[in-house]
Amino acid sequence: MILNLFVLTPSRIVWDSEVKEIILSITSGQIGALPNHAPIVIAVDIGILRMHLNDQWLTMALMDSFARIGKNEIIILVNDAEKNSDIDPQEAHQSLEIAEAALRKVEGKRKTIKANLAFPQSRTRVETINVI
Amino acid sequence: MSQPWVSSDQPFRNTHDMFVQHQSRRFSVFNTIPRPSNIKCNLRELRQRIATVKNTQKITEAMKLVAAAKVRRAQEAVVNSRPFSESLIDVLYSINQQAQLEDVDIPLTNIRPVKKVALVVITGERGLCGGFNNFVLRKAEARIAELENLGLDYTVISVGKKGNSYFIRRPKVSVDRFIEGEGFPTAKDSQVIADDVFSLFVSEEVDKVELLYTKFVSLVKSNVVIHTLLPLSAKGEIRDGNGNSVDASEDEFFRLTSKDGKLAVERDKSMGKSDVFYPNMEFEQDPAQILDALMPLYLNNQILRALQESLASELAARMNAMSNATDNAIDLKKSLENVYNRERQSKITNEILEIVAGAEALL
Repeated sequence: MILNLFVLTPSRIVWDSEVKEIILSITSGQIGALPNHAPIVIAVDIGILRMHLNDQWLTMALMDSFARIGKNEIIILVNDAEKNSDIDPQEAHQSLEIAEAALRKVEGKRKTIKANLAFPQSRTRVETINVI
Repeated sequence: MSQPWVSSDQPFRNTHDMFVQHQSRRFSVFNTIPRPSNIKCNLRELRQRIATVKNTQKITEAMKLVAAAKVRRAQEAVVNSRPFSESLIDVLYSINQQAQLEDVDIPLTNIRPVKKVALVVITGERGLCGGFNNFVLRKAEARIAELENLGLDYTVISVGKKGNSYFIRRPKVSVDRFIEGEGFPTAKDSQVIADDVFSLFVSEEVDKVELLYTKFVSLVKSNVVIHTLLPLSAKGEIRDGNGNSVDASEDEFFRLTSKDGKLAVERDKSMGKSDVFYPNMEFEQDPAQILDALMPLYLNNQILRALQESLASELAARMNAMSNATDNAIDLKKSLENVYNRERQSKITNEILEIVAGAEALL
Protein backbone atom coordinates (compact mmCIF):
# COMPACT_ATOMS: atom_id res chain seq x y z
CA MET A 1 0.00 0.00 0.00
CA ILE A 2 1.99 2.78 -1.34
CA LEU A 3 1.31 6.33 -2.29
CA ASN A 4 2.45 7.63 -5.64
CA LEU A 5 3.75 11.09 -5.08
CA PHE A 6 4.31 13.56 -7.89
CA VAL A 7 5.82 16.92 -7.18
CA LEU A 8 5.58 19.01 -10.32
CA THR A 9 7.17 22.37 -10.96
CA PRO A 10 6.79 24.39 -14.13
CA SER A 11 10.27 23.50 -15.28
CA ARG A 12 10.52 19.86 -14.33
CA ILE A 13 9.20 16.99 -12.27
CA VAL A 14 10.95 17.17 -8.94
CA TRP A 15 9.70 13.93 -7.46
CA ASP A 16 7.76 11.09 -8.93
CA SER A 17 8.15 7.94 -6.96
CA GLU A 18 6.43 6.15 -4.14
CA VAL A 19 6.32 7.04 -0.50
CA LYS A 20 4.59 5.64 2.51
CA GLU A 21 3.22 8.80 4.04
CA ILE A 22 3.44 12.53 3.61
CA ILE A 23 2.93 15.49 5.85
CA LEU A 24 2.02 18.86 4.42
CA SER A 25 1.68 22.13 6.19
CA ILE A 26 -1.34 24.16 5.32
CA THR A 27 -2.81 27.37 6.56
CA SER A 28 -4.69 25.75 9.38
CA GLY A 29 -1.93 23.49 10.62
CA GLN A 30 -0.45 20.30 9.30
CA ILE A 31 -2.10 17.50 7.47
CA GLY A 32 -0.84 14.00 6.95
CA ALA A 33 -1.85 11.58 4.27
CA LEU A 34 -1.60 7.82 4.36
CA PRO A 35 -2.43 5.37 1.61
CA ASN A 36 -6.11 5.18 0.73
CA HIS A 37 -6.77 8.71 1.79
CA ALA A 38 -10.04 10.17 0.60
CA PRO A 39 -9.82 12.31 -2.51
CA ILE A 40 -9.31 15.87 -1.48
CA VAL A 41 -7.95 19.17 -2.80
CA ILE A 42 -5.78 21.24 -0.57
CA ALA A 43 -4.19 24.65 -0.82
CA VAL A 44 -0.77 24.23 0.71
CA ASP A 45 1.05 27.03 2.45
CA ILE A 46 4.68 27.95 1.92
CA GLY A 47 6.27 25.33 4.11
CA ILE A 48 7.83 21.95 4.47
CA LEU A 49 6.77 18.73 2.90
CA ARG A 50 7.81 15.66 4.79
CA MET A 51 7.93 12.31 3.11
CA HIS A 52 8.29 8.97 4.75
CA LEU A 53 9.94 6.25 2.80
CA ASN A 54 12.16 3.33 3.70
CA ASP A 55 12.03 4.30 7.37
CA GLN A 56 13.46 7.67 6.60
CA TRP A 57 11.91 11.08 6.54
CA LEU A 58 12.88 13.33 3.69
CA THR A 59 12.04 16.97 3.68
CA MET A 60 11.45 19.36 0.89
CA ALA A 61 10.84 23.11 0.93
CA LEU A 62 7.77 24.06 -1.04
CA MET A 63 6.85 27.53 -2.16
CA ASP A 64 3.25 28.38 -3.07
CA SER A 65 1.70 25.07 -3.82
CA PHE A 66 -1.39 23.07 -4.20
CA ALA A 67 -2.06 19.41 -3.56
CA ARG A 68 -4.58 17.04 -4.94
CA ILE A 69 -4.94 13.67 -3.33
CA GLY A 70 -6.55 11.03 -5.45
CA LYS A 71 -6.75 7.27 -5.34
CA ASN A 72 -3.34 6.59 -3.77
CA GLU A 73 -1.95 9.27 -5.96
CA ILE A 74 -0.86 12.67 -4.74
CA ILE A 75 -0.09 15.45 -7.15
CA ILE A 76 1.56 18.53 -5.73
CA LEU A 77 1.81 21.49 -8.04
CA VAL A 78 4.39 23.94 -6.85
CA ASN A 79 6.22 26.90 -8.26
CA ASP A 80 9.49 25.90 -6.76
CA ALA A 81 10.57 23.02 -4.61
CA GLU A 82 13.93 22.18 -3.14
CA LYS A 83 15.04 19.00 -1.48
CA ASN A 84 16.79 19.56 1.80
CA SER A 85 19.94 18.02 0.39
CA ASP A 86 20.01 20.66 -2.31
CA ILE A 87 19.89 23.68 -0.05
CA ASP A 88 23.11 25.36 0.98
CA PRO A 89 22.82 26.27 4.69
CA GLN A 90 24.97 29.39 4.52
CA GLU A 91 23.13 30.81 1.60
CA ALA A 92 19.76 30.01 3.11
CA HIS A 93 20.64 31.77 6.36
CA GLN A 94 21.88 34.77 4.49
CA SER A 95 18.79 35.13 2.39
CA LEU A 96 16.70 34.75 5.53
CA GLU A 97 18.54 37.65 7.15
CA ILE A 98 18.11 39.78 4.08
CA ALA A 99 14.42 39.01 3.91
CA GLU A 100 13.97 39.79 7.60
CA ALA A 101 15.75 43.10 7.26
CA ALA A 102 13.67 43.96 4.22
CA LEU A 103 10.47 43.11 6.01
CA ARG A 104 11.31 45.33 8.93
CA LYS A 105 12.15 48.46 7.07
CA VAL A 106 9.65 48.21 4.31
CA GLU A 107 7.20 50.92 3.46
CA GLY A 108 4.42 51.32 1.01
CA LYS A 109 1.72 48.80 0.35
CA ARG A 110 3.32 47.25 -2.63
CA LYS A 111 6.71 46.66 -1.10
CA THR A 112 5.04 45.18 1.95
CA ILE A 113 3.31 42.64 -0.21
CA LYS A 114 6.54 41.75 -1.89
CA ALA A 115 8.44 41.42 1.35
CA ASN A 116 5.65 39.33 2.72
CA LEU A 117 6.10 36.98 -0.17
CA ALA A 118 9.85 36.71 0.19
CA PHE A 119 10.11 36.24 3.91
CA PRO A 120 8.24 32.95 4.37
CA GLN A 121 10.11 31.53 1.42
CA SER A 122 13.50 32.06 2.99
CA ARG A 123 12.26 30.96 6.36
CA THR A 124 11.00 27.70 4.92
CA ARG A 125 14.31 26.96 3.33
CA VAL A 126 16.12 27.45 6.60
CA GLU A 127 13.61 25.30 8.44
CA THR A 128 14.00 22.53 5.92
CA ILE A 129 17.66 22.20 6.68
CA ASN A 130 17.13 22.32 10.39
CA VAL A 131 14.50 19.62 10.47
CA ILE A 132 15.87 16.16 10.90
CA MET B 1 33.78 48.14 -28.14
CA SER B 2 34.29 44.77 -29.63
CA GLN B 3 31.33 42.51 -29.32
CA PRO B 4 32.03 39.05 -27.97
CA TRP B 5 32.27 36.79 -30.98
CA VAL B 6 30.78 33.57 -29.85
CA SER B 7 32.14 30.10 -30.47
CA SER B 8 34.71 30.74 -33.12
CA ASP B 9 38.13 29.41 -32.50
CA GLN B 10 39.65 30.77 -35.65
CA PRO B 11 42.33 33.29 -34.80
CA PHE B 12 41.99 36.66 -36.45
CA ARG B 13 45.02 37.72 -38.36
CA ASN B 14 46.00 41.35 -38.26
CA THR B 15 42.74 42.37 -39.82
CA HIS B 16 41.76 44.54 -36.90
CA ASP B 17 41.17 47.64 -38.95
CA MET B 18 39.13 45.83 -41.53
CA PHE B 19 37.16 44.23 -38.77
CA VAL B 20 36.24 47.53 -37.17
CA GLN B 21 34.93 48.67 -40.47
CA HIS B 22 32.74 45.62 -40.80
CA GLN B 23 31.60 45.80 -37.21
CA SER B 24 30.38 49.32 -37.44
CA ARG B 25 28.15 48.45 -40.31
CA ARG B 26 27.05 45.24 -38.62
CA PHE B 27 25.97 42.72 -41.18
CA SER B 28 24.00 44.98 -43.43
CA VAL B 29 27.01 45.06 -45.72
CA PHE B 30 26.21 41.50 -46.66
CA ASN B 31 22.80 42.29 -47.98
CA THR B 32 24.04 43.81 -51.20
CA ILE B 33 26.81 42.53 -53.39
CA PRO B 34 29.12 45.51 -53.80
CA ARG B 35 29.87 46.65 -57.29
CA PRO B 36 33.49 46.33 -58.32
CA SER B 37 33.95 50.08 -58.33
CA ASN B 38 33.40 50.20 -54.57
CA ILE B 39 36.13 47.73 -53.82
CA LYS B 40 39.59 48.92 -53.09
CA CYS B 41 42.07 48.19 -55.81
CA ASN B 42 45.01 47.48 -53.61
CA LEU B 43 45.91 43.83 -53.90
CA ARG B 44 47.05 43.37 -50.35
CA GLU B 45 44.01 45.01 -48.89
CA LEU B 46 41.79 42.86 -51.06
CA ARG B 47 43.52 39.77 -49.79
CA GLN B 48 43.05 40.87 -46.22
CA ARG B 49 39.47 41.59 -46.84
CA ILE B 50 38.85 38.17 -48.30
CA ALA B 51 40.40 36.60 -45.22
CA THR B 52 38.17 38.70 -42.98
CA VAL B 53 35.06 37.66 -44.81
CA LYS B 54 36.10 34.04 -44.57
CA ASN B 55 36.50 34.30 -40.81
CA THR B 56 33.22 36.08 -40.41
CA GLN B 57 31.51 33.40 -42.39
CA LYS B 58 32.87 30.73 -40.07
CA ILE B 59 31.59 32.65 -37.07
CA THR B 60 28.12 33.12 -38.42
CA GLU B 61 27.88 29.49 -39.37
CA ALA B 62 28.94 28.44 -35.89
CA MET B 63 26.39 30.78 -34.34
CA LYS B 64 23.71 29.30 -36.52
CA LEU B 65 24.52 25.79 -35.36
CA VAL B 66 24.58 26.88 -31.72
CA ALA B 67 21.20 28.54 -32.09
CA ALA B 68 19.79 25.44 -33.79
CA ALA B 69 20.94 23.24 -30.91
CA LYS B 70 19.46 25.64 -28.36
CA VAL B 71 16.11 25.75 -30.11
CA ARG B 72 15.83 22.05 -29.60
CA ARG B 73 16.57 22.44 -25.90
CA ALA B 74 14.07 25.26 -25.65
CA GLN B 75 11.41 23.06 -27.13
CA GLU B 76 12.30 20.32 -24.68
CA ALA B 77 11.89 22.78 -21.83
CA VAL B 78 8.39 23.54 -23.06
CA VAL B 79 7.60 19.85 -23.18
CA ASN B 80 8.95 19.38 -19.65
CA SER B 81 6.68 22.05 -18.33
CA ARG B 82 3.61 20.42 -19.80
CA PRO B 83 2.82 17.99 -16.96
CA PHE B 84 2.59 20.96 -14.63
CA SER B 85 0.37 23.06 -16.84
CA GLU B 86 -1.88 20.20 -17.71
CA SER B 87 -2.40 19.16 -14.10
CA LEU B 88 -2.97 22.75 -13.12
CA ILE B 89 -5.58 23.33 -15.75
CA ASP B 90 -7.17 20.02 -14.99
CA VAL B 91 -7.54 20.95 -11.36
CA LEU B 92 -8.81 24.42 -12.20
CA TYR B 93 -11.39 22.90 -14.45
CA SER B 94 -12.67 20.44 -11.88
CA ILE B 95 -12.78 23.08 -9.18
CA ASN B 96 -14.56 25.39 -11.50
CA GLN B 97 -17.13 22.73 -12.16
CA GLN B 98 -17.81 22.26 -8.53
CA ALA B 99 -17.48 25.68 -7.10
CA GLN B 100 -19.51 27.97 -9.34
CA LEU B 101 -16.79 30.48 -9.85
CA GLU B 102 -19.07 33.39 -10.41
CA ASP B 103 -19.78 33.68 -6.73
CA VAL B 104 -16.23 33.48 -5.56
CA ASP B 105 -14.24 36.61 -5.11
CA ILE B 106 -10.52 36.41 -5.67
CA PRO B 107 -8.24 39.42 -5.66
CA LEU B 108 -6.62 38.46 -8.93
CA THR B 109 -9.87 38.44 -10.82
CA ASN B 110 -10.86 41.83 -9.51
CA ILE B 111 -12.05 43.86 -12.43
CA ARG B 112 -11.64 47.53 -11.65
CA PRO B 113 -12.07 50.50 -13.93
CA VAL B 114 -8.68 50.89 -15.52
CA LYS B 115 -6.57 53.91 -14.78
CA LYS B 116 -3.10 52.50 -15.06
CA VAL B 117 -1.72 49.65 -17.10
CA ALA B 118 1.47 47.71 -16.58
CA LEU B 119 3.17 46.38 -19.69
CA VAL B 120 5.59 43.51 -19.30
CA VAL B 121 7.81 43.62 -22.37
CA ILE B 122 9.90 40.53 -23.05
CA THR B 123 12.95 41.00 -25.27
CA GLY B 124 16.12 39.08 -25.79
CA GLU B 125 19.48 39.22 -24.10
CA ARG B 126 21.76 39.38 -27.10
CA GLY B 127 21.65 40.80 -30.55
CA LEU B 128 22.35 39.29 -33.94
CA CYS B 129 18.86 37.89 -34.14
CA GLY B 130 17.46 39.79 -37.08
CA GLY B 131 14.39 41.88 -36.43
CA PHE B 132 13.32 40.03 -33.31
CA ASN B 133 13.90 42.66 -30.65
CA ASN B 134 12.86 45.40 -32.98
CA PHE B 135 9.44 43.90 -33.59
CA VAL B 136 8.72 43.58 -29.90
CA LEU B 137 9.85 47.11 -29.13
CA ARG B 138 7.89 48.59 -31.99
CA LYS B 139 4.77 46.85 -30.80
CA ALA B 140 5.44 48.12 -27.30
CA GLU B 141 5.72 51.66 -28.63
CA ALA B 142 2.49 51.27 -30.56
CA ARG B 143 0.70 49.99 -27.48
CA ILE B 144 2.07 52.84 -25.37
CA ALA B 145 0.82 55.33 -27.95
CA GLU B 146 -2.60 53.66 -27.86
CA LEU B 147 -2.72 53.87 -24.10
CA GLU B 148 -1.74 57.51 -24.21
CA ASN B 149 -4.51 58.20 -26.66
CA LEU B 150 -6.99 56.57 -24.34
CA GLY B 151 -5.72 58.81 -21.60
CA LEU B 152 -4.40 56.00 -19.45
CA ASP B 153 -1.30 55.99 -17.37
CA TYR B 154 1.19 53.21 -17.91
CA THR B 155 4.34 51.69 -16.56
CA VAL B 156 6.70 49.28 -18.23
CA ILE B 157 8.42 46.26 -16.79
CA SER B 158 11.23 45.40 -19.13
CA VAL B 159 12.62 41.89 -19.28
CA GLY B 160 15.79 41.30 -21.25
CA LYS B 161 18.92 43.35 -21.86
CA LYS B 162 17.87 44.61 -25.27
CA GLY B 163 14.64 46.04 -23.97
CA ASN B 164 16.42 47.48 -20.95
CA SER B 165 18.96 49.39 -23.02
CA TYR B 166 16.18 50.64 -25.26
CA PHE B 167 14.05 51.97 -22.46
CA ILE B 168 16.99 53.47 -20.63
CA ARG B 169 17.54 55.69 -23.61
CA ARG B 170 13.93 56.80 -23.50
CA PRO B 171 13.38 58.60 -20.22
CA LYS B 172 9.91 59.68 -21.30
CA VAL B 173 8.66 56.16 -20.77
CA SER B 174 8.41 55.36 -17.09
CA VAL B 175 9.94 52.02 -16.46
CA ASP B 176 9.17 50.22 -13.32
CA ARG B 177 11.86 47.64 -13.19
CA PHE B 178 14.52 46.03 -15.26
CA ILE B 179 14.92 42.34 -15.15
CA GLU B 180 17.68 40.39 -16.80
CA GLY B 181 17.92 36.67 -17.08
CA GLU B 182 20.59 34.30 -18.24
CA GLY B 183 20.07 31.36 -20.49
CA PHE B 184 16.97 29.30 -20.25
CA PRO B 185 14.13 30.74 -18.20
CA THR B 186 13.43 28.90 -14.98
CA ALA B 187 10.57 29.03 -12.58
CA LYS B 188 12.69 31.30 -10.37
CA ASP B 189 12.96 33.91 -13.11
CA SER B 190 9.27 33.88 -13.78
CA GLN B 191 8.68 34.01 -10.03
CA VAL B 192 10.50 37.34 -9.88
CA ILE B 193 8.27 38.78 -12.56
CA ALA B 194 5.17 37.16 -11.09
CA ASP B 195 5.86 38.59 -7.64
CA ASP B 196 6.36 42.02 -9.07
CA VAL B 197 3.23 41.89 -11.15
CA PHE B 198 1.23 40.40 -8.31
CA SER B 199 2.22 43.10 -5.86
CA LEU B 200 1.57 45.83 -8.41
CA PHE B 201 -1.89 44.55 -9.09
CA VAL B 202 -2.98 43.68 -5.59
CA SER B 203 -1.73 46.96 -4.13
CA GLU B 204 -3.95 48.64 -6.73
CA GLU B 205 -1.11 50.58 -8.26
CA VAL B 206 -2.11 49.24 -11.62
CA ASP B 207 -5.44 47.93 -12.73
CA LYS B 208 -4.40 45.81 -15.66
CA VAL B 209 -1.28 43.90 -16.54
CA GLU B 210 -0.43 43.02 -20.10
CA LEU B 211 2.25 40.69 -21.32
CA LEU B 212 3.98 41.50 -24.57
CA TYR B 213 6.03 38.67 -26.03
CA THR B 214 6.79 36.75 -29.20
CA LYS B 215 4.81 33.67 -29.86
CA PHE B 216 6.70 30.87 -31.53
CA VAL B 217 4.78 29.69 -34.56
CA SER B 218 7.44 27.82 -36.48
CA LEU B 219 11.17 27.98 -37.14
CA VAL B 220 10.68 30.68 -39.72
CA LYS B 221 7.70 32.51 -38.32
CA SER B 222 6.83 34.15 -35.03
CA ASN B 223 4.25 36.69 -33.95
CA VAL B 224 4.41 39.40 -31.36
CA VAL B 225 1.30 39.20 -29.22
CA ILE B 226 -0.22 41.04 -26.31
CA HIS B 227 -1.89 39.00 -23.60
CA THR B 228 -3.83 40.35 -20.72
CA LEU B 229 -2.31 38.68 -17.70
CA LEU B 230 -4.31 40.31 -14.94
CA PRO B 231 -7.11 40.53 -14.06
CA LEU B 232 -7.80 36.92 -14.89
CA SER B 233 -11.06 37.38 -16.56
CA ALA B 234 -13.83 34.89 -16.77
CA LYS B 235 -15.48 36.68 -19.60
CA GLY B 236 -15.74 40.03 -21.22
CA GLU B 237 -13.33 42.81 -21.85
CA ILE B 238 -11.59 45.13 -19.49
CA ARG B 239 -12.92 48.62 -19.46
CA ASP B 240 -11.62 51.85 -18.12
CA GLY B 241 -13.43 54.45 -16.06
CA ASN B 242 -15.44 55.64 -19.03
CA GLY B 243 -16.52 52.24 -20.16
CA ASN B 244 -14.25 52.16 -23.18
CA SER B 245 -12.51 48.93 -23.86
CA VAL B 246 -8.80 49.21 -23.22
CA ASP B 247 -7.74 45.93 -24.71
CA ALA B 248 -5.32 45.71 -27.59
CA SER B 249 -7.06 44.72 -30.75
CA GLU B 250 -5.66 41.24 -30.91
CA ASP B 251 -5.59 40.55 -27.23
CA GLU B 252 -6.03 37.01 -26.05
CA PHE B 253 -7.34 36.24 -22.63
CA PHE B 254 -6.15 33.69 -20.19
CA ARG B 255 -9.50 32.21 -19.53
CA LEU B 256 -10.41 30.63 -16.27
CA THR B 257 -13.68 29.08 -17.18
CA SER B 258 -14.58 26.75 -19.95
CA LYS B 259 -15.42 27.69 -23.46
CA ASP B 260 -18.18 25.72 -25.15
CA GLY B 261 -18.22 23.32 -22.29
CA LYS B 262 -14.66 22.16 -22.91
CA LEU B 263 -11.64 23.73 -21.40
CA ALA B 264 -9.86 25.86 -23.97
CA VAL B 265 -6.26 25.24 -23.15
CA GLU B 266 -4.14 27.71 -25.08
CA ARG B 267 -2.88 25.83 -28.07
CA ASP B 268 -1.90 22.44 -26.73
CA LYS B 269 -5.07 20.62 -26.13
CA SER B 270 -3.56 17.31 -25.28
CA MET B 271 -4.50 15.98 -21.87
CA GLY B 272 -1.96 13.22 -22.15
CA LYS B 273 -2.32 11.59 -18.78
CA SER B 274 -5.61 9.85 -18.40
CA ASP B 275 -6.72 11.70 -15.33
CA VAL B 276 -9.55 10.11 -13.54
CA PHE B 277 -12.14 12.72 -12.86
CA TYR B 278 -13.07 12.65 -9.25
CA PRO B 279 -16.70 13.68 -9.00
CA ASN B 280 -16.74 13.96 -5.26
CA MET B 281 -13.63 15.93 -4.66
CA GLU B 282 -13.68 17.35 -1.21
CA PHE B 283 -12.15 20.66 -0.40
CA GLU B 284 -9.99 20.92 2.62
CA GLN B 285 -10.51 24.63 2.75
CA ASP B 286 -13.26 26.56 1.10
CA PRO B 287 -13.04 27.11 -2.66
CA ALA B 288 -11.99 30.71 -2.30
CA GLN B 289 -8.87 29.74 -0.43
CA ILE B 290 -8.07 26.95 -2.82
CA LEU B 291 -8.37 29.28 -5.75
CA ASP B 292 -6.30 31.80 -3.87
CA ALA B 293 -3.49 29.28 -3.76
CA LEU B 294 -3.93 28.30 -7.37
CA MET B 295 -3.83 31.76 -8.87
CA PRO B 296 -0.15 32.48 -8.19
CA LEU B 297 0.70 29.12 -9.68
CA TYR B 298 -1.34 29.88 -12.76
CA LEU B 299 0.20 33.32 -13.07
CA ASN B 300 3.70 31.97 -12.74
CA ASN B 301 2.98 29.31 -15.29
CA GLN B 302 1.70 31.77 -17.87
CA ILE B 303 4.69 34.00 -17.44
CA LEU B 304 7.07 31.08 -17.74
CA ARG B 305 5.39 29.94 -20.93
CA ALA B 306 5.71 33.43 -22.36
CA LEU B 307 9.40 33.51 -21.47
CA GLN B 308 10.02 30.12 -23.01
CA GLU B 309 8.21 30.98 -26.20
CA SER B 310 10.06 34.26 -26.45
CA LEU B 311 13.35 32.46 -26.10
CA ALA B 312 12.42 29.90 -28.73
CA SER B 313 11.42 32.66 -31.16
CA GLU B 314 14.63 34.54 -30.48
CA LEU B 315 16.72 31.47 -31.17
CA ALA B 316 14.83 30.73 -34.37
CA ALA B 317 15.31 34.34 -35.50
CA ARG B 318 19.00 34.14 -34.72
CA MET B 319 19.28 30.92 -36.66
CA ASN B 320 17.71 32.53 -39.71
CA ALA B 321 19.72 35.72 -39.44
CA MET B 322 22.99 33.83 -39.13
CA SER B 323 22.06 31.55 -41.98
CA ASN B 324 21.42 34.56 -44.22
CA ALA B 325 24.62 36.18 -43.07
CA THR B 326 26.55 33.04 -43.94
CA ASP B 327 25.07 32.91 -47.41
CA ASN B 328 25.81 36.55 -47.98
CA ALA B 329 29.36 36.09 -46.75
CA ILE B 330 29.88 33.32 -49.28
CA ASP B 331 28.58 35.53 -52.09
CA LEU B 332 30.68 38.45 -51.01
CA LYS B 333 33.78 36.32 -50.86
CA LYS B 334 33.15 35.09 -54.39
CA SER B 335 32.80 38.54 -55.82
CA LEU B 336 35.81 39.77 -53.89
CA GLU B 337 37.89 36.90 -55.23
CA ASN B 338 36.79 37.73 -58.75
CA VAL B 339 37.87 41.31 -58.37
CA TYR B 340 41.13 40.20 -56.76
CA ASN B 341 41.92 37.88 -59.62
CA ARG B 342 41.10 40.49 -62.17
CA GLU B 343 43.36 42.96 -60.41
CA ARG B 344 46.14 40.47 -60.12
CA GLN B 345 45.93 39.55 -63.77
CA SER B 346 45.80 43.13 -64.92
CA LYS B 347 48.85 43.88 -62.81
CA ILE B 348 50.74 40.99 -64.33
CA THR B 349 49.64 42.04 -67.81
CA ASN B 350 50.92 45.55 -67.17
CA GLU B 351 54.27 44.24 -66.03
CA ILE B 352 54.54 42.06 -69.11
CA LEU B 353 53.65 44.98 -71.35
CA GLU B 354 56.25 47.15 -69.70
CA ILE B 355 58.91 44.51 -70.11
CA VAL B 356 57.97 43.91 -73.73
CA ALA B 357 57.88 47.63 -74.47
CA GLY B 358 61.20 48.08 -72.76
CA ALA B 359 62.70 45.21 -74.69
CA GLU B 360 61.40 46.63 -77.96
CA ALA B 361 62.78 50.04 -77.14
CA LEU B 362 66.21 48.54 -76.76
CA LEU B 363 66.10 46.79 -80.04
